[in-house]
Amino acid sequence: MESYIPIIVLLGIALVLALLLMSLSRLLGPFRPNTNKLNPYESGMDPVGQARERYSIGFYLVAMEFIIFDLEVVFLFPWAVKFTELGFGTFVAMVIFIIILFIGLFYTLKKGTIYFELKPSISNRT
Amino acid sequence: MIEFLENITPSTTMALVIHAMIPLGLILVYALFAIWMERKVAAHVQDRLGPMRVGWHGWAQTIADMLKLLQKEDIIPTDASRFLFRFAPFLIFVASYAAFAVIPFSSGYIGSSINIGVFYLLAITSLLTLSVIMAAWASNNKWSLLGGMRSAAQMVSYEVPTIMSVLSVIVVAGSLNLMTVTEMQSGNEILGFLPNWLIFQNPFLLVAFVIFFVSILAESHRVPFDLPESESELVAGYQTEYSGMRWGIFMLAEYADMLLLSLLGVVLFFGGWNSPFGTFMDGPVWGFFWFMLKGMLLVFVMMWIRWTLPRYRVDQLMRICWNILIPASFVNFVLIALWEMIF
Amino acid sequence: MDYLYDLNTFIPATIAAAAGLVVLMQSVYKVKINTIFGVTVFSLVVALLFALRDLFGPVGTSFYDMVAYGGTAAFGTLLVITGTLFCVLISRDYLEAIDHHYGEVYAMILFATTGMVGLAVSNDLIMLFVGLETMSICLYVLAGLIKEEKTGAESALKYFLLGAFSTGFLLYGIALIYGATGSTNYADITALTDISPLFMAGSALLLVGFFFKISAVPFHMWTPDVYQGTPTTLTAYFATASKAATFVALILVMSRMMPEIEGVGWTQAISVIAIITMILGNLIALVQDNVKRMLAYSSIAHAGYLLVGLAAGTADGYTGVLYYLFAYTVMNIGAFGVIAFYERNQALDFTDVNNYAGLGYKQPVMAVLLSVFLFSLAGIPPFVGFLAKYYVFAAAVNAGHITLAVVGVLTTAASVYYYLRVMVFMYFREPHKEFDLVNPGAIFKYALIVLCVLTVYYGVEPVFPMGSLIELLTSYYTETGPAGMAGP
Repeated sequence: MESYIPIIVLLGIALVLALLLMSLSRLLGPFRPNTNKLNPYESGMDPVGQARERYSIGFYLVAMEFIIFDLEVVFLFPWAVKFTELGFGTFVAMVIFIIILFIGLFYTLKKGTIYFELKPSISNRT
Repeated sequence: MIEFLENITPSTTMALVIHAMIPLGLILVYALFAIWMERKVAAHVQDRLGPMRVGWHGWAQTIADMLKLLQKEDIIPTDASRFLFRFAPFLIFVASYAAFAVIPFSSGYIGSSINIGVFYLLAITSLLTLSVIMAAWASNNKWSLLGGMRSAAQMVSYEVPTIMSVLSVIVVAGSLNLMTVTEMQSGNEILGFLPNWLIFQNPFLLVAFVIFFVSILAESHRVPFDLPESESELVAGYQTEYSGMRWGIFMLAEYADMLLLSLLGVVLFFGGWNSPFGTFMDGPVWGFFWFMLKGMLLVFVMMWIRWTLPRYRVDQLMRICWNILIPASFVNFVLIALWEMIF
Repeated sequence: MDYLYDLNTFIPATIAAAAGLVVLMQSVYKVKINTIFGVTVFSLVVALLFALRDLFGPVGTSFYDMVAYGGTAAFGTLLVITGTLFCVLISRDYLEAIDHHYGEVYAMILFATTGMVGLAVSNDLIMLFVGLETMSICLYVLAGLIKEEKTGAESALKYFLLGAFSTGFLLYGIALIYGATGSTNYADITALTDISPLFMAGSALLLVGFFFKISAVPFHMWTPDVYQGTPTTLTAYFATASKAATFVALILVMSRMMPEIEGVGWTQAISVIAIITMILGNLIALVQDNVKRMLAYSSIAHAGYLLVGLAAGTADGYTGVLYYLFAYTVMNIGAFGVIAFYERNQALDFTDVNNYAGLGYKQPVMAVLLSVFLFSLAGIPPFVGFLAKYYVFAAAVNAGHITLAVVGVLTTAASVYYYLRVMVFMYFREPHKEFDLVNPGAIFKYALIVLCVLTVYYGVEPVFPMGSLIELLTSYYTETGPAGMAGP
């Protein structure tokens, strides 16, 4: 636990510094808001509609893929540290684990899940 | 380091605070320097001179910019979510600086030598994605939202190969503590003259480094992967609505992120603070020098690439990650483990 | 190489998982769908053979006590794989007819089977959870197979949301039990000497999670909609294999995990749930015009009968539940199979019971098969459904739960009405319009005939091999007491 104290202190100092910078800019900068300034920026045109609309499902699919791989990496971490002690059997088990994951990855790639594929993508069918 | 500080300061708390401020001060100085360097590199690549007015070869240009930013008006758009809009810069600032706590700057200085250093670093840098999304959503601007979503997709995608290449090093090093990883790279024994850096210890780690470097380019939004803020199509991505010092904080955090990932690369692949000449020019102070030199070299390469390569298209970006980098990093990982198992 | 031996005890699930991966890759490469079907059936047959081998093999635990093998676990594996095999056999022609014949369906079924086997052999709460989730997630996907229609989307969404909700209960219960005992292993938890309120709360939440999955009243709301929106043969899969796996897991939890301490029995709670499940399931089924909904409520009612055996809490009770599960699997797949056959004819909407008028004389074999399965579901001798009910109710009576048995018999009598109603329509009404039924196809027909033979064969008496099996299963419980079966 002891070794985490510097981290917490660092976090605190970073926060204080950010606050300091912000308040300095508040003190030194002007403050003259008007309607045009406070509008969303759309290259000088009047803003059209709302920004918060539904966006492509592809983003969600990428996020899901990421979660799967991120979790897998969490499984790999403890093994990676101790793998020479755990021996060959565990290595084979891990390889099988990775292969199963790769079959899944391969499947999703073949099906065009990564939405940025331009041709037959799901995102084009809005 | 902390004992030394306790001797010269009146109280333990103060020693702790000073101890924690060292990386922070260092990074602020670095950011000022790096922004100037970026401009100079850009200028010389394009056969210009760059900033020349403020000080010798414009060295104080960034300071002048900083002062200018402080005097700018701070605008929060009417439709923005005010709390999130204000909170996002804080989060990105804190996250990018807190990560430096586990980087061993020299044999005498590390913020905190925790046993799960790498894990902590990866965990805390994933907060960056969160703050980018937060800023994008809070702005309520189309450019921001598009840039933010792209950025999130890119960062989470490239996080996988980054982590996998880091894990490849962990397999060889057998520890998550960055200090331990650095210490085991001291000495010059490979082929009689090469330093014991991890990149020379295992042929597949060379591949791992290439994957790592490509991934950190994307992680820190550098060209050719700077789609989230590609000026020509998205204005400034998630930063579009930010002005004044809030924008400045995003800028600082981006540069800090660049340094952080470069330093991580140096620790994992290039021996950290170890001198390339064995015991020659060794010691805590020289260690710091070598460490920063190696780090800045990597940062320089990143800047150099920025002015050399064109930007990728968004589908190419994702395909590079999922079709090439992720499979390659996993195969490489298994090969490294196999190599370590056999030899 | 210890884990090779461990793997040997878990081989049916391993085969199913490997076959699932193969099928997934085949469907990416657009291999002919019949090849995929063949691979699926072949792998399931192989898994079935291994399950049979394990049934008469040794009893024990493997994978660091995570997995049980032999005895109840082996029987559960056998049930799940048998159910899956027959569902796959009747699925091909049906899915072809409704234009949803994808390779991924088989992959999902195989993965779900892996989860079910994991569930049925669990000896640890973590394994239980992993198995349940592997099963459920695949089933959510299958429920939404006809996503173009509103009922399909509704069914998938309802199943997913409520399923996730119930999993939350289950997981919370597991967490509390772990907090109270410091272990997730059944044997360790049984060894517990004092019962804390924390443990009671955890067990209650765990049971609630289970009740959701087996669709006991008052946690049954999802069942009719999900069963209606899912393709019929897959509904059969949901109703039989998944229910069998969950019940076997529940038996394992009840018989192995719950500590034997005075005043701690879940008999009372389970009895109440069983009574309202039987009454409500049967009552609502009486007024259903949609055959699939009718069978859904009937499956709720059957969950009630199964809970009667569980509430008895004796060796006879557990054995009765296992036998009931076998009977239920066989006859329910049969009933759904025949309905799937009628649905393949696009002439009329054959989920509506009114359109069954006059069907009895069009394809006599199919009509007779449906009659047999429905008679059996109603518990009329000499079919397997009768004997199963007899075992369960007898166990309840012997354990002193007369009320349960009385309610069970009365509701069974009521249930005869809605089962026979279909037959009334088929044989005693004139058809609305003229049409021809399609040819059922050889695989489809023979799969149903085999199910019918099983229904009749085991209805007369629990003959070989099932009879000796019942003795075998009973012996596991009697030798070491109701909480026993602690290992080889």
